[in-house]
Amino acid sequence: MAHHSHPYHMVDPSPWPLTGAIAALLMTSGLAVWFHFHSTSLMLLGTILLTLTVIQWWRDIVREGTFQGHHTPPVQKGLRYGMILFITSEVLFFLGFFWAFYHSSLAPTPELGGNWPPAGITPLDPFEVPLLNTAVLLASGVTVTWAHHAIMEGKRKQAIHALALTILLGAYFTFLQAMEYNEAPFTIADGVYGCTFFVATGFHGLHVLIGSTFLAICLARQISHHFTSEHHFGFEAAAWYWHFVDVVWLFLYISIYWWGS
Amino acid sequence: MESQYHQFGQADNSSVRGEYKITSQSDRKMAAFGRITQALLRSSLTQSRRQLSASSGGHGALAEKWRMLSFVVALPGVAVCLLNMYLRQQQHHGHERPEFIAYSHLRLRSKPFPWGDGNKTLFHNPHVNALPDGYEDVDE
Repeated sequence: MAHHSHPYHMVDPSPWPLTGAIAALLMTSGLAVWFHFHSTSLMLLGTILLTLTVIQWWRDIVREGTFQGHHTPPVQKGLRYGMILFITSEVLFFLGFFWAFYHSSLAPTPELGGNWPPAGITPLDPFEVPLLNTAVLLASGVTVTWAHHAIMEGKRKQAIHALALTILLGAYFTFLQAMEYNEAPFTIADGVYGCTFFVATGFHGLHVLIGSTFLAICLARQISHHFTSEHHFGFEAAAWYWHFVDVVWLFLYISIYWWGS
Repeated sequence: MESQYHQFGQADNSSVRGEYKITSQSDRKMAAFGRITQALLRSSLTQSRRQLSASSGGHGALAEKWRMLSFVVALPGVAVCLLNMYLRQQQHHGHERPEFIAYSHLRLRSKPFPWGDGNKTLFHNPHVNALPDGYEDVDE
C-alpha cells in the first residue's frame, strides 16, 4: 500500500468509469433503436454492462474502505458531500415533474374540459391504497432509524432485524404500487393527467427499487461485519437516500393523489 | 479492538500523521507508548458507551426508543390503514367501470407502442382500460 503524508485517498486506476459511460451510451442509443427498429439487443447489452459496472465499482469501493482502510475521516467527509450533492440533484430532477404537473393542473385547458381531473378521468381514491402506501413508507423511515441507532450502539442482531424490516416494507410498497398500476382505470396515454401521473410515480417507483437494493446491500454488509459502531457511512448514505424517497412520496401523495383528485 | 483503528486504516496511524521515515529506537518506544495510551483511552470510552447503551430509557437508549416506535406506532399505523382500505373497498365494490365516451383528449396514440400490437399501454388491463375505440370485452 502507498505511504503518503496526507489523509486523502489517491484511487488506483479503474476501468469502471469508462464501462459505465459506454453502458450509458448503449442504453440510450439502444432505446432509440428499440423505438425505431424493434430490436432490444443494444439496449439489453447496455443494461448488462451497466449492471456489471455498478457491481464491480461499488465492490471496489467497499474493498478500499472496509478492507484497506482508505476511508479516513476527511475521505468520509468527501463521500458525505458527494451523497448530499447527488440527492440534491435528484430533488431537482423530481422538481421538474412536479412543475409539469402543477403547470397542467392549476389551469386546465378547454381541451380537458376546463377541469382537473380532466373529463373522463376517474382518479384513484387517495384514502385507499395510496394512504396505505404512505403509512408503509413512513413506517420504513422509522425502522431504518431504529437500524441506524442499533448499529451505533453495537446491537448487531437488532440492526439486522430492523434493516430487514425496512426492506420488507419497501417491497410491500412496490407490490402495492404494482397492483395499483395494473388496476388503474386510466393509463399513461390518457392525456396530460395520465402522463404526469405515471411519469412522476414511475420515476419514484424506480427510486424505491434502487433504494431497496441499496438497503439490501447494507443488510448483507451488516451481516458480514463490515460496519462498526463508529464507521458505517455506506449505511448512512442508504438511509439518507431512503428518507429522500419517502419525502418525494409525501409530496406525490399530497399533490397528485390528494389535491389532484 | 480492531474496529477502533478501522477509520485510520493502518494500525499505527503513521500514514495519517506522516511518520513514515526511519525512526530511532527511543522514538519508536515513545510512539508505542502514545499508541498504547490512545488505545486504552479509546477502550475505556467504549466501555462507558456500552454501559450507557445497556441502560434502558437512559442516555444512549435511542435504539430502544426507535424500536418501540416501530412496533407500537409505525407497524400498527400500517395495520390501521390496511383495515381502513379493506372496509372502504367492501363499501363500493358494487358499481364497476365508467361507460366509454370517445374523448379526443384521452387514449392518445401519436405513435404505436414498441411492444405487442402497439395499441396497449404497458400495464393494460382489459377490464378497466378502454382502447381508443372502446372496451375490448364489450359484453360487460
